[in-house]
Amino acid sequence: MDTGLIRVLLDPGHFFEARMQDEPSLKVPALIALVIGITGAITGAISANAMIAAFPGDMQALGSIGVAFAVVGGVIGGFFTWIAVGIVFHIVSMLFVGEGTLKRTLEFTGYGFLPQVFGGIIGAIFSYQIFSNLPIMTASRPEDIAVVIESLTDAVLADPLTKIIGIVSILFLIWSANIWIFGMRYARNLSTRNAALTVGIPVGFYILYMLITLAGWL
Amino acid sequence: MRPIYLAIITLLCAVLAVAGPASAAPADLTVTSSSLDPAVLMKGDTGMLTVTIQNNGAEPVAIRSARLHGSGVVPLSDPYPSVGEIGAGNTKTFTFTVRADGGEGTFYPTFVLDFRDGGGNLRYPVPIQVEDTPLSASVIRKPDAFAESRTADITIRVGNPRPNNASGVQVVPLGSGFTVTPTSGFIGALAPDASGTVTFNLTPTAETDVTFQVVWRNGINTHTTDLVLPVAFGEDKKKADPIITNVEVMSESGGYRVVGDIMNAGLESARSVLVTPGQPATPIDPFRVYVVGTLDPDDISSFEVTFKTDGTVTEIPLVIEYRDDDGNRYTSTRMVGLGSAPAPIDEREDGGFPLVGAIVVVLVALGVAGAIYHSWRRA
Repeated sequence: MDTGLIRVLLDPGHFFEARMQDEPSLKVPALIALVIGITGAITGAISANAMIAAFPGDMQALGSIGVAFAVVGGVIGGFFTWIAVGIVFHIVSMLFVGEGTLKRTLEFTGYGFLPQVFGGIIGAIFSYQIFSNLPIMTASRPEDIAVVIESLTDAVLADPLTKIIGIVSILFLIWSANIWIFGMRYARNLSTRNAALTVGIPVGFYILYMLITLAGWL
Repeated sequence: MRPIYLAIITLLCAVLAVAGPASAAPADLTVTSSSLDPAVLMKGDTGMLTVTIQNNGAEPVAIRSARLHGSGVVPLSDPYPSVGEIGAGNTKTFTFTVRADGGEGTFYPTFVLDFRDGGGNLRYPVPIQVEDTPLSASVIRKPDAFAESRTADITIRVGNPRPNNASGVQVVPLGSGFTVTPTSGFIGALAPDASGTVTFNLTPTAETDVTFQVVWRNGINTHTTDLVLPVAFGEDKKKADPIITNVEVMSESGGYRVVGDIMNAGLESARSVLVTPGQPATPIDPFRVYVVGTLDPDDISSFEVTFKTDGTVTEIPLVIEYRDDDGNRYTSTRMVGLGSAPAPIDEREDGGFPLVGAIVVVLVALGVAGAIYHSWRRA
């Protein structure tokens, strides 16, 4: 528990304190972002595959391209999210006169994404359950595709598992936020209060947005 | 001549002049009128013939008997065996019961008066008309087609083509396989060339022949005429015809929701219109059944029903129930395809929140809380 990624999850303070002794490295954070991207790609492939089933027979090939886009988009999305969040933290920490390189911020932000791996895996499993329980009807005409997709989306959003995915995502995001607070404290040389504000403001807004979205489903 | 003989002859003449007045001549007796009730008989009818005579002379006339005889129309009553005298200027009436035993036409039974004392007799032929034309009956209103248990208005017109009045005219529906209101229709007296109508509410329960029997009296004689109306079931061209259009199938949690429009394309009102999903669909709340109410011709209304299926069904029937003005129930179905809507995800048994998911949430929440607590405790 004293070393490795487990330490990031349970003792992020000492982990980041130890990491500050070394040069910033983005290898492990990039690996974490890749795994998150893969879980996102799996979820995207499951949903895209369900959409394809609704396509008329002669448009199935077109749908396969959609699955490929979903997979590639999921992988890229993992890296994009990592970098975007890191930049946001770096900018916000500037308000609190933070000191430290962007690379270090990205490194520690990447470690903070580690709980999202578990969240992504659980989300992929639940997504598979949702779509496997969904007998998809095939649109007989191309003009019916939009109706089918809309109905399919409504059905997915109405599924209780979708709400659970949202709640689980918020929980893991809170866990990540906790890690990020420690990370920003060391990466940007902030007080605990300022580090909490650096992370809490953007993450808080995002969680609020997710709750509002979830409330709309309830 | 000796005076005594002359006196006897004179006295005798005086006695004869005082003792016995001489009878008037039969030529002074005339038949002043005759009447028959009913005025025109039908074959086999019985009527009352009344003959009135009057003594137009200055002296009474002695009559021994009065009788009637003839063929075609025969007397049923006995002759008058002893009539007596009819004073000067007086009238006397003789009534005979007669029956038309012959065919149609005008018959002349003879009224005979026999005078006393060899005075001969008076013979008077009485004209009696016999015509066998019955009352006519016709259906002047009926539906284009009959339907089982659907009430139809039937109007019967009865006309009197006879030259005399018909009395007690009524129409009685006869037969089986239907109910009718009223059970008979009374028209009453019909003058010559007059007519009367009566309307029946007929509700057939099976295809049948309905006999409308016209019953009337000609004098004291009862006659009937039958009018047969075949009742065969067919398509009512005016009946209500609810049509479902603009159907939209939506999938939602636990089932489907179908919305659409229902329009009455018929010519009669559809009452108590209900729209329900039929088998194999299972209606679910909140719209197990949609009560549209009354749809007048060309009226349109929206409807909404909710149901669930076992997931293998590709189309389900929408059942339309409605009633006509008489309360008869009709149903029609319209198949609705579910192909453009995905099958719904079944609701979880615990009311929409899966138990496994709830457990996962709780475990994750505990894990996250523990990790956060641990991280701050170590810090």
